[in-house]
Amino acid sequence: MIEFRSVTKVFPNGVRAVDELTLTVGEGETLVLLGTSGSGKTTTMKMVNRLIEPTRGSICIDGLDVMEQDPISLRRSIGYAIQHIGLFPHMSVAENIAVVPRLLQWDRERVDKRIDELVSMVGLNPKRFRMRYPNELSGGQRQRIGVARALAADPPIVLMDEPFGALDPITRDQLQNEFLELESEIQKTIIFVTHDVFEAVKMGDRIALLDQGKLQQLATPAELVESPANEFVEEFLGQHRFQLALLTRTIGSVTTAAQTDLTPPAEKPGTCLHPRHSLIEALDLFKRTRAVKLPVYRSDRYVGELSKKGLLRVITDVLGETEDAA
Amino acid sequence: MSLLHEFLEKLGSDIARHTYEHVCLTSAAMVIATALALPLGVYLTRCRYPRLVALILGVANVVQTVPSLALIAFIVLVFALVKLPTIGMLPAVVALVLYALLPILRNTYTGIRQVDANTIEVARGMGMTSAQILFKVELPLSLPVIMAGLRISTVWTIGVACLCTLVGGGGLGDLIMRGLRSIQLDYMLAGTIPAAFLAIIFDWILGALEKALTPRGMRE
Repeated sequence: MIEFRSVTKVFPNGVRAVDELTLTVGEGETLVLLGTSGSGKTTTMKMVNRLIEPTRGSICIDGLDVMEQDPISLRRSIGYAIQHIGLFPHMSVAENIAVVPRLLQWDRERVDKRIDELVSMVGLNPKRFRMRYPNELSGGQRQRIGVARALAADPPIVLMDEPFGALDPITRDQLQNEFLELESEIQKTIIFVTHDVFEAVKMGDRIALLDQGKLQQLATPAELVESPANEFVEEFLGQHRFQLALLTRTIGSVTTAAQTDLTPPAEKPGTCLHPRHSLIEALDLFKRTRAVKLPVYRSDRYVGELSKKGLLRVITDVLGETEDAA
Repeated sequence: MSLLHEFLEKLGSDIARHTYEHVCLTSAAMVIATALALPLGVYLTRCRYPRLVALILGVANVVQTVPSLALIAFIVLVFALVKLPTIGMLPAVVALVLYALLPILRNTYTGIRQVDANTIEVARGMGMTSAQILFKVELPLSLPVIMAGLRISTVWTIGVACLCTLVGGGGLGDLIMRGLRSIQLDYMLAGTIPAAFLAIIFDWILGALEKALTPRGMRE
C-alpha cells in the first residue's frame, strides 16, 4: 500500500509541481495518474522511488516513509518502466532484463531462468529474442521488453510512465490488452502515468486526475465519466464523454431495462455476454457474430438476454445524456 | 630498386632506432595524458561548479592554441627555473602530454554529457549507484566519442613528437633535423615517412580497438 500524505513538491525555480496531494494506492490496485503535461503526474510518480524528493509531506510504502529508506535498495525493490528510450541501447534484451536481478546479486542460473520466463511472459520467443539489441526490435517489441524488465525482480510495486506512448494505435491497443491480462495474473500495485484519458479508463482501477499539481478527482473510471467532480474534470473529458461512457458503462448496469426474456436456454451457448462487459464490447460482439440477440451470463448463471435493438436504444440514450451534460 | 636498397643499407638502423624512440615518446605521453584526462573529464561531468568546468576546459583550449614549438620552449624555460633537466626525454614528454590532453578531456566530457538524460534516469530509477551508472551506462555509451578523442590525440602527438629533437628528446625528428642541417633529402625522408606510417598505423589500431569495444547494439 502506498500512502501520499499532503505531498508538496516545489522545484528550485519556484514551480509548484505537486500541491498538497493526499491519496492511497491499495495493494494490487492500478492507479492511473492522469493529466496534461505540467500537471505534476510524472513528478508524483517519481517521488515514490525518490528520483524526486518531496518538499513537504510524506510518502509511505507499507507504513515506511520512503525518505527514511536507502534510495538504492528502495529503487531496486520497485519496478520502473518508461517511454520508448527506456532500454539500454548497448545491452542485449537478456542483459537489459537482467539489470536489477544482477544488482540484487542473483546467481547466474536464476537470472537466466528469469529472463526466459519474462520474455515468454510478454509474448516473445526467448530463443529468438534473448540476444537481440534494442535497435534490432520493433517499437512494440521494445515496449514489451521494457515491461518485462520492470517486472524482472518480481517487485510488488511497479511505476509506469506512459509505457505505451510512442506506439501506433493498433500496437498500443494490443499491448494494453496483453498487459491487462498479464496484470490480472501477477497482481501488482501499479502507478501508471498517462495523458490519454482512454488509456486511463482502460487501464485504471482508479484514476487520479491532476491539474497544476492539484488533485481534481480520485474515482473509478465509471464514476469519473458519470459524475465529474468539478468544471475542470468536465472540460478535461470534454467531447470524449460519449465514447468514454460506452467504455465505462457495463451491460449489468443497463440490462434490467433492455432484457426481454428470462427463460434460460437449455444450455450455455458458446458466445454470450457478461454483465461486466462494456457497451462497446457488447456492440463489438454483436458486430462480429451478426446476432440479433445474445444471452447474458454471470459466470454460469443466466441473467437475461440483450437484443441488438435494446443495446442500440441504450447507446442512443447515453448519447442524449452526454449531449445534455455538454 | 637498388636505390631503395642503398637507402636502407645506409639508414636502416637509424630509422629503426629513431622509430623506436618515437614510439616510446608517443606511448609514454599518451598513457600519461589518458590517465590524467579521462578521470578529469569524468570529474568535470560531475562537477557542481560550472565555472570550474569552464575554467579547466578553457585552460586546456588555450594550451592547444600555443604553437607546439613555443610550448616546448616554455617548458624548457620553466624547467630551467625550477632546476629540472632541460634536455632529454623528460621535457619532451611533458610537452607532448600537455598537447595530448585536450582532445581526450574534451571528448570524455562531451561524450558523457551527450548520453541521453532519460537513459541515465532509468538507470537511477532501477537502483544503480553513481559508480554503476558511470561504468555500466555512461562510459559504454560514450565510448565511441572518447575513442575518437584518443585517436585524434595520438595522431597529433606522433606529429608533434618530431619536435622533441630540439630538446634532445630523440625520435624521428632527429633524422629530419640532420637532413635539414646537411641539406640531405634521404635523411629528411627517413624521418618523415616512418612518422607518417606510424600515424596511419596507430589510427588504424585504435580504430579497430574502438570497433571491438563498441557493443553490437550501438554499431551502425
